Amino acid sequence: MRGKHRVIVYTKRVRYDFELRRNITVIRGDSATGKTTLIDMVQEHINNPSGSPVEVICDKPCYVLAGALWKEQLSGVSDGIVFIDEGNEFVKTDEFSRTIQGTDNYYVIVTREGLSALPYSVEEIYGIRTSGKFGTLKQSYHEFYRIYGTDVAKSMVKPDIIITEDSNSGYQFFKQVSDENRMECYSAEGKSNIFRYLKGDTGKNMLIIADGAAFGSEIDRVLWMMKGRDNVAVYLPESFEWLILSSGIFGDKDLEDILNEPSDYVESKEYFSWERFFTALLVARSRDTYLTYSKRKMNHAYLSKNVKEKILARMEKITLN
Amino acid sequence: MLNIFYGDMPEAVYNTASYFKFDYEDEWIIDPYVKNMILDVDKSVVLDSGVIDSPVLGKIPPTGLSGGVKTLILVRFEKEKVFNVSTCGDNCAKWLLDMTRQEERTVNLRHLMDFGDEPFTIRIMNTGEIVHSMKELVPIAGEYV
Repeated sequence: MRGKHRVIVYTKRVRYDFELRRNITVIRGDSATGKTTLIDMVQEHINNPSGSPVEVICDKPCYVLAGALWKEQLSGVSDGIVFIDEGNEFVKTDEFSRTIQGTDNYYVIVTREGLSALPYSVEEIYGIRTSGKFGTLKQSYHEFYRIYGTDVAKSMVKPDIIITEDSNSGYQFFKQVSDENRMECYSAEGKSNIFRYLKGDTGKNMLIIADGAAFGSEIDRVLWMMKGRDNVAVYLPESFEWLILSSGIFGDKDLEDILNEPSDYVESKEYFSWERFFTALLVARSRDTYLTYSKRKMNHAYLSKNVKEKILARMEKITLN
Repeated sequence: MLNIFYGDMPEAVYNTASYFKFDYEDEWIIDPYVKNMILDVDKSVVLDSGVIDSPVLGKIPPTGLSGGVKTLILVRFEKEKVFNVSTCGDNCAKWLLDMTRQEERTVNLRHLMDFGDEPFTIRIMNTGEIVHSMKELVPIAGEYV
């Protein structure tokens, strides 16, 4: 599945209206905001298609996955939107991750836990808020709001230390930039280690660079560690490859279209996360050019003055050179 | 005191809503303390042991309460059991702290619930450490979630 899909679920009392943009969406937030009610309503609609007081409007069929037989249920689902309520322990497992990888569904998962086996974006973690009444006086209207990814640095970020999630090309690029500009740069060697880096506060200005497209499971504890510390900033582009593609060094018109609306191009069956899509896209675009990209080892062409400056210029509100 | 085990805990009841469905007792719902919790978290009024007036859903049974309130009720009355309180949002945190001012409870958390800015006393069972603020809690608990 690809593209954006609007979902409207309603009864005469309650109405939900939201849009899904990627294969994995997580819903969390306060109790009593209507997360379980939403999933109960979808379930009711599925169970009683000929006579349900619940209406579901969506261009894709909606399903609810629950209980010990989740795998069997999922085997019969294709090209649909799958809702999973909290209390389903399987969402944390590697088996679930392996199973949904390669399916052409979108998944909406209610949980407050970090799902480390799933590569979900910080931008696709939502809460539900009631924004008043809709239609009739009795009907309350619920919409999603984005929990993370809306904060923007108020002033320029000029770090003394850079920590990258990446240990390959991304790290090599920022290490070179750091060496040239008297900064320190370290690889955390994986997103789960960034939390530990934050436990030691040297007092120096620190910039964390990680792939936003797959950082959803880590964002909460990382932001907690940053709370009250104005010497730490986090930069979460979709991925390092996205940063390169969006820097303008390729200058293709169709590339601009893709970057403006990735969801129209990322086939969920093929790419488990947008990060993987952008890597494949960059490899394809740069093939047989002087900018041939390899994730393992940074092509030195990206470290030439002109190319490097274009990439760094894409990092708004951050000064590294 | 509130004792919290962070992270995976096989002996904890994970699906608290399901547990509540077949375990709750009528007396629990009309307990004055529980009525206050339901009013505060769910903004709903208990009419009797089987009927609750929800501003959004109308008249609902106790099984229609939010997952958070159901878990809080279990924590209050099923004292020997350990429940997964990651089914509770931050708006339940003050009730967990309040319930454990005089009594001991052990719960399981799989995320960093916000216990607020006021000083509190929580024992993190993974390490045995006692903490009094989120600043103390997060570096320890964050290792396990």
